[in-house]
Amino acid sequence: MSNKTQYWKGEDELLNTPSFQADLKKEFSEDLPLDEVLQENNFELSSNRRDFLKFFGFSITAVALAACNKAPIRKAIPYLVKPEDVTPGVANYYNSTLGASSEGYGVQIKVREGRPIKVDGNPNSFSGRGLSALGQASILSLYDTARLENPMKGGKATDWATIDGEIEKALAASKKVAIVSGTIHSPSALSVIQKFAEKYSTDHITYDAISYSGILKANLDGFGKAVIPSYDFSKSKIIVSFAADFLGTWISPVEYTGSYTRGRVPGNMSRHYQFESNLSLTGTNADIRFPMKQSSEALYIATLYNRIAEKKGTAKIPVTRVLNLAGNVLDNVAKDLLDNEGKSIIISGSNDPYVQQMVNGLNVLLGNYGNTIDLNNYSNQYKGLDADFDKFISDATNGAYDAVIFWDANPIYNYHKADSVKNALAKIKTKISLSGFIDETAENVDYICPDNHYLESWGDAEPKKGKLQILQPTISPVFNTRQAEVSLLTWIGLGEKPAKDPFAGKEIMAQKFDTSIYYTYLKNFWITNVAGVTNEAAFNKVLHDGVYNLPMIENTPISFTAEFSTYGPIISKMVPEVNSAIDLILYQKVGIRDGKFCGNPWVQELPDPVSKVTWDNYVALPKALAEKKGITEGDLVKVSLNGITIDQFPVLIQPGQANNTISIALGYGRKGKSAEKGAYETIGKNAYPFAPFVNGTRQWVASGVQIEKVAGNYVLAQTQTHNTIEGRDLLREATQTEFNKNPYAGNDMPRPHLYELWSRHEYKRDDNPGHYWAMAIDLNACTGCGACVVACSIENNVPVVGRDEVRRRREMHWIRIDRYFAFKNVEHVDYSNDLLLKRDYQKDFVTKEKGIEALDRAEAKKKDGEYLYYENVQVMHQPIMCQHCDNAPCETVCPVLATTHSSEGLNQMTYNRCIGTKYCANNCPFKVRRFNWFRYNDNDKFDFFFNNDLGKMVINPDVTVRTRGVMEKCSMCVQRIQDGKLKAKRERREMIDGEIETACQRSCPANAIVFGDLNDTSSEVSKLYKNERSYHLLEELNLQQGVKYLTKIRNI
Amino acid sequence: MSHNITTIRPRLVTKDKSLADVSNEICRPIENKPSTTWKIGFTLAVIFFGLLAFTLALTTLVGIGTWGLNKSVQWGWDITNFVWWIGIGHAGTLISAILLLFRQKWRMSINRSAEAMTIFAVLCAALFPLFHMGRVWVGAYWVFPLPNAFGSLWVNFNSPLLWDVFAVSTYFSVSLVFWYLGLIPDIATIRDRATTKGRKFWYNFFSMGWTGSTRTWNRYEVVSLILAGISTPLVLSVHTIVSFDFATSVVPGWHTTIFPPYFVAGAIFSGFGMVCTLLIIARKVLNYEDYITIGHLEAMAKVLMLTGTLVGLAYITEFFVAAYSGVEYEQYAFLNRATGPYWWAYWSMMTCNLVAPQFFWMKWARTTPWFIFFLSIVVNVGMWFERFVIIVTSLHREYLPSGWALYSPTWVEIGIYLGTFGMFFTFFFLFAKFLPVINMAEIKTILKDSE
Repeated sequence: MSNKTQYWKGEDELLNTPSFQADLKKEFSEDLPLDEVLQENNFELSSNRRDFLKFFGFSITAVALAACNKAPIRKAIPYLVKPEDVTPGVANYYNSTLGASSEGYGVQIKVREGRPIKVDGNPNSFSGRGLSALGQASILSLYDTARLENPMKGGKATDWATIDGEIEKALAASKKVAIVSGTIHSPSALSVIQKFAEKYSTDHITYDAISYSGILKANLDGFGKAVIPSYDFSKSKIIVSFAADFLGTWISPVEYTGSYTRGRVPGNMSRHYQFESNLSLTGTNADIRFPMKQSSEALYIATLYNRIAEKKGTAKIPVTRVLNLAGNVLDNVAKDLLDNEGKSIIISGSNDPYVQQMVNGLNVLLGNYGNTIDLNNYSNQYKGLDADFDKFISDATNGAYDAVIFWDANPIYNYHKADSVKNALAKIKTKISLSGFIDETAENVDYICPDNHYLESWGDAEPKKGKLQILQPTISPVFNTRQAEVSLLTWIGLGEKPAKDPFAGKEIMAQKFDTSIYYTYLKNFWITNVAGVTNEAAFNKVLHDGVYNLPMIENTPISFTAEFSTYGPIISKMVPEVNSAIDLILYQKVGIRDGKFCGNPWVQELPDPVSKVTWDNYVALPKALAEKKGITEGDLVKVSLNGITIDQFPVLIQPGQANNTISIALGYGRKGKSAEKGAYETIGKNAYPFAPFVNGTRQWVASGVQIEKVAGNYVLAQTQTHNTIEGRDLLREATQTEFNKNPYAGNDMPRPHLYELWSRHEYKRDDNPGHYWAMAIDLNACTGCGACVVACSIENNVPVVGRDEVRRRREMHWIRIDRYFAFKNVEHVDYSNDLLLKRDYQKDFVTKEKGIEALDRAEAKKKDGEYLYYENVQVMHQPIMCQHCDNAPCETVCPVLATTHSSEGLNQMTYNRCIGTKYCANNCPFKVRRFNWFRYNDNDKFDFFFNNDLGKMVINPDVTVRTRGVMEKCSMCVQRIQDGKLKAKRERREMIDGEIETACQRSCPANAIVFGDLNDTSSEVSKLYKNERSYHLLEELNLQQGVKYLTKIRNI
Repeated sequence: MSHNITTIRPRLVTKDKSLADVSNEICRPIENKPSTTWKIGFTLAVIFFGLLAFTLALTTLVGIGTWGLNKSVQWGWDITNFVWWIGIGHAGTLISAILLLFRQKWRMSINRSAEAMTIFAVLCAALFPLFHMGRVWVGAYWVFPLPNAFGSLWVNFNSPLLWDVFAVSTYFSVSLVFWYLGLIPDIATIRDRATTKGRKFWYNFFSMGWTGSTRTWNRYEVVSLILAGISTPLVLSVHTIVSFDFATSVVPGWHTTIFPPYFVAGAIFSGFGMVCTLLIIARKVLNYEDYITIGHLEAMAKVLMLTGTLVGLAYITEFFVAAYSGVEYEQYAFLNRATGPYWWAYWSMMTCNLVAPQFFWMKWARTTPWFIFFLSIVVNVGMWFERFVIIVTSLHREYLPSGWALYSPTWVEIGIYLGTFGMFFTFFFLFAKFLPVINMAEIKTILKDSE
């Protein structure tokens, strides 16, 4: 305090003049005429009538105004003893592992006042800084009212002592115990299972709902190890994917999206071929996509193999069938692959070991192993073999097991023969589920010992060989639940509480400290077993970092054996002779995935990246098939395959769907919350029963499906119903060849001459440059996965509105991803002579409604019913949020100034001031403004999470929960901006570029969004604003937005 | 007022009425028990008024979500109805103010009810911008630049919606004063004829001490002229400003400089339509066929034809400007009106507003009350569609095709619209019962006139 700098107010103070000294004593620099007022003789006021009126008027107004102000009563209850780490209003971040799926991404968890409120990727993790939509949304399952609050015995709540006693007795009496679990790659958990197996004779069966048995088996046969290799898409110049949705759902999509986009830098980007039936997220991003009947996949791969083998001079696969494809498709692919040997990746989404073996063969031929594909530092993310579970079922049915423990496995829901699982269970005496929810399997067991949510648990993970991660609790268990590992340890007598409580004095952790048993176990396990972690300090360092990487294993030469000579008949058997048979493709949606979180409202409301459908699964039909069967969108159909029939399926006519195929998403048909029914309602229909079991694996493609129109209709809730861009200049794109010639390619249209009515904003702080926040979005990087949509909803307390409201086109998302199809004029239909359509004529890709109608007419005339243009589409994704226009149309029209421009370039909403005229939303050219049609919080009509105390725990306290009748929209995460500015101010420094990340930017696995300060000329966003590819939407309106887009480049 | 009386032109009031006839006939509904027709009509109107109260309560208590609006079309039937009702009001002011200035005497028998119609229509119209607000409980007064305790808050003078607030409230207050001023001599007449105590008291109270002296008449004439002068620009300005709601926006289909004159013409068109609808019923029901003559109807039919054609011209001009502009969004917006999902609304508008009034080229059409009545309904329907076309078809397909959405109203919106009819007719029936529907004082000056 002593050396505090003195500032003087004026020269007088510095010189300390007498007059200054005198003035200092007075409160007002000039005398108030009090004497004059008070010295009144005989009540003769010296003030005249006018003064009186002035005083009178002022006092009346002042009193009236003072009376208007009703001071709100706010209660704040302080901590009596402040926990060491908790400062109200300041968030803590913990590194952990995503426990929601076995993909095991490293995450960072934001905790406010003891509540985890946000999950983001851990930048140091193998999966990078982004996180999938499902990962983001998994936080809500912590605050789900459907969670079990107590252990259950025979459908009734009980206590742990009782249930433990009974289970221990039952286990002791069992000859053989089975643990059926999803993939577990946690080293400590595996050691617990091992310990368990030492006490009770136990089989551990890994059962994945969506397994990668095909790859595991093929690699076991070919390379001698049953592992999934690591793929590095960034090193690959040519990517050929046969129906592997590696950007959306295949093995490790977050990791792959990161490495894929790193290899897609314009000028030197990879070329991506995709062969598939249903239009997947990956397919929408492919440079060249071929609609393929997936039942013929083996033939495609064998043919490609033979093209390469021919050039290489090695033995071919004896295929008798000939694949006739238009336009030398496979020749081009083969040529590209041969030109880039050792720099390509060929993958297949098939779960067939023979198909995968051919893919391995191709990669071996091209020398990709050791370059782009790594078998040594492999993935542990999926380890389940379908045959193992199949064997378990038959063994159990034969009475081999006396007890079974289900741990993160729900076969009664997701096994294709639920009845056989039920029959098997009937033969088992003691059935235990460790599920935290009453799922379909838990409904059929004797004891449910609810596991903690992963945000309440201790643990570790090894999702990839040598990439160790820690899992740590960020909240004490909300309910009377117990971590699964602790349950197992308890049953083998190791569940005693440690004599010394390691959390003594730390209230937050210590309230319910049964997790701490596992903390001790975990710590000891690491110190004993993990190389390099030898003491508690080292362990604490790991706990802090969240990740611990063991040295990478060097490349070793591979030895590959495959008997391709015997494949001829196998392929013939697999590929149906009749080409007109309809294929059924079972696929995962990017949001719902295998259905574990089917009841999560955030993922349900996330529009499917391709179809933009929410809250339902459906039968995706190609136009050609729909025309043939007389089915239109909104109809209901009956789908049957091998004696299994599912009725009342809604229909979506999906551009890009290969002819003679239909697709149905897995993961639906479970109970979840819904607005219409108030409580729990089954969302969609379960398609798992359709999955055929072929060549020892469960497969997701079946041929010969029957489809039939039934009575009734159904409107799917879509967030976008107009699918084409009408030839408008909203999405700019160019080919890599054009881009290499001219970096302005696709973006070099003449700039309109713009006039302005008002002078421009000057973003200044006094006379110094202030901040000018802006964003750049790289359309070339964006894959359209939708992670940002969920991230934004969580960060900004965006309500979920439910299916019916989405149907009414009232979803509340602040950021959306527009998806447009361009229909390839495959048969070069020339409609330029059509008088009415002359000006709408588009030669190669048709995007106008009228143009498509012209193609439809030409197709109808042709009468072959192929609709090739419907099958061959090009897709663009464009994230749209508030563009924060400098010349904002919304700002000028608000009658009450509820939306205004900040001094830092943001377009701000003042919710308190908004009266809800909705004029701003009408005048917004981007339609990003969202109106609160109802009171979404505390309204049981919207029974998602906003209306109950538990669900409300997920609310971000930094963001206002909006009331009914006000407008809302993207704020560019102004709360994060303020937080960042405050932090810099406290630390007395300038802000660092990249310090503030918006929620969407933080979640993006592709790094497509960059946010920063335009007044900082060295910031990344300033550089991107000057990039040759950058452009503003609707430039001619002269809105001067704070969001710029970067041209998409296609490597065609 | 002395005039040369020619016998060539037909009389403004037929059948040689005496001064006493006028007072007797026009005061008849006020001084007698309500007729059965009146009772039935009034009950019906009150029922619909109740529907209005119910639907507005629902909107306010549950939310605007009870309407069919969505993320793209955030104005629908609400603003359509607002503009429609405001437009209807215009004829009243036009008849009473502009025609007064032009000394058009034929207006005298219709101006009272036209003005009443204006006031009730503006009241109905004002409901929509009020209740379309998400938070009407604060919005109702936050749109005014009031001093307040919330801090330095001010309204946005750039916003056309704020201009609307001032335009509509000015219009309403001036119309109300003008109407009331005209009523004073007639209220005094009823007072003088009153036989019951209550009637005497109330009409005395509302006649504001009218004596009928030359000085009062002189002042009455002067104030009328002044108010007419004030009202005249309002006829043009109110709908001009309403049109600014659209014209100053960036929405293709709204952002059009032709809007002010186009809207004013449309307003007069629809206003005269409504005047015809009401008066044709009134002259029949109240037996005022001698005061509201075929000549009146013919004059109004001519106005309808003229303004209808003007409006039609504006529609075509819009198309030309869109084509000439070279702006693809603009061009699409207009093509979409005619050929998009709401084509039926566009062609209804064209048929009702441009084609239908052309029948008035025929003398028969202009002089047949039932036909005028029929066409006046058609005109009102057409003008409603015009606003629907402008608002909904422009919004539902704007710049970004991803946001394109369809809109249809819910029963609540329909209920509110029907409810405003209830309110309008409730007021109109009360007016017809308690106040003279025809300006007795003025009509007495033209008993012998022909013009």
